[in-house]
Amino acid sequence: MPDISVTVAGIKFRNPLLLASGILDENGYTIKRILDEGAGGAVTKSIGTDERSGYFPPVVVPLDDGLLNAVGLPNPGIKEFGSEMKIALEAGKPVIGSVFASNSEDFLNLCSAMESYGAYAVELNLSCPHVKGFGSEVGSDPDLVEEIIHSLKSKIRIPVFAKLSPNVTDINQIAEAASECDAFVLINTVRGMSIDITARKPVLSNRVGGLSGRAVKPVGIRAVWDVFENFDKPIFGVGGIENAQDVVEYFMAGASAVQIGTAIHSQGRGVFRKIESELADFMEAEGFNSMVEMRGLAH
Amino acid sequence: MRHSEIIEIKAASRSSVTLFFEDDTDILPGQFLMIWAPGVGEIPISLSHTGKRKGITIKPYGKTSSFLCSLKKGDRIYFRGPYGRPFSVESGRRLIIGGGTGLASLYSLIDSESTVISSARTADELLFRNNFKCKRNIEVTDDGSAGIKGFPVDALRSINPDSHAVAYICGPEMMMYSVYNYLKDFNLELQFSLERMMKCGIGICDSCSIGGFQLCRDGPTFFKDEIPLLVEFGITRTTESGRRYSMK
Repeated sequence: MPDISVTVAGIKFRNPLLLASGILDENGYTIKRILDEGAGGAVTKSIGTDERSGYFPPVVVPLDDGLLNAVGLPNPGIKEFGSEMKIALEAGKPVIGSVFASNSEDFLNLCSAMESYGAYAVELNLSCPHVKGFGSEVGSDPDLVEEIIHSLKSKIRIPVFAKLSPNVTDINQIAEAASECDAFVLINTVRGMSIDITARKPVLSNRVGGLSGRAVKPVGIRAVWDVFENFDKPIFGVGGIENAQDVVEYFMAGASAVQIGTAIHSQGRGVFRKIESELADFMEAEGFNSMVEMRGLAH
Repeated sequence: MRHSEIIEIKAASRSSVTLFFEDDTDILPGQFLMIWAPGVGEIPISLSHTGKRKGITIKPYGKTSSFLCSLKKGDRIYFRGPYGRPFSVESGRRLIIGGGTGLASLYSLIDSESTVISSARTADELLFRNNFKCKRNIEVTDDGSAGIKGFPVDALRSINPDSHAVAYICGPEMMMYSVYNYLKDFNLELQFSLERMMKCGIGICDSCSIGGFQLCRDGPTFFKDEIPLLVEFGITRTTESGRRYSMK
């Protein structure tokens, strides 16, 4: 039986399939259920210093090959999130705290709180494409990214992951600025828009949103490939993963683990168990004994 | 996003209206549509009238529902769906318990043998009053302006629940919580249609989750034996930011 566990930045995951940030990870009970139902780990919704309600619906547009969303970083604020972390951690699997802020001081406070709540690592949202002053607006400034990660690395004991945006000309430039991190997370959603032609208006209340799902997989594969070529660091591959073949493709591009979100829309929470069993079958058929054997194999 | 023209508008209570439109999609009792008012907002609404001629019954709460209530015959409504798990339609006598606009999602289940407990704050807020045929209708109001003064559970004390095969219940969560606690030890099957803050409608945003289940996808209908799994039911809920608060 092939071994599908992975160890990334010192954290052992029973399978390489993590719940991606932003999907079903605001309520502690939901995170716990997804972990109980097969995810190897989970990344929380991005949490900020203060409570935010997010955008008014419509916040999502279902498309044939993905989803366009602008939820607007709703979160209860870091102080309130400790109780959700406590519930989520009851599953006994790694929970990674995603955080967003606009400066290094706020990032430090958020990450310290996540560490005190028992998060196995923190994931910095440097890439949300649809909220002014946060996410990709921070993540497209190399000097700021470097300052944020440098200040965290001297003060935070748990691993720091940097989730980067594909909405840049050269992802390697931002990866270089973030290179003190313990792992890269690639990619966040691709900025996009959708207009209803009979209503003659954009559908999302925020007008602009982020595209995820099947349609963005080639963009994610390419980002992982590029960063793997240039940096000796673990990478979480994210974007359009729906089956074991997609997981293997990300691994062969250079991923050390993957995160899954939009596939829950098409396949439900059972997608983790389904891919887990497909993955073992694929490895057996192709003669792989461990996940790490497949990493970067296409290079 | 699909759209249809409003072909008729009827008052359903003093402040609620039913918008009728035609659409070929099969939509079952308990399922909902995400109704979009372009440039205003989007809200989930269960259908009060299923079949080719469909109806949604709306009370003006927020800006989107208020906008929808102001629409006129001939205006368009935009929607996506249907979403959610429908009620399981059982044979045998039905007990229908609707609180406020909750009766809308149960309306298509009422038949001539049903017992219907309809409740509202006041008499003129009772939905579809004198507008359905059933075996027995017990009205309940908070202020006593019609029927029993009190809550649906007070009406339940005047009937024998086990003379029914199934109860269908929809209304404010604390009302359903009290009905669940009263009826759970009787023999009849219970099916609840729950309501929580819903944003995406398709099981990804986590706004409407309850005990790890997504109300928009695993529900909104839940059976009696599923209720204990919804560990937040009647206990806590979350705001649109995800902040948890106690309902007690």
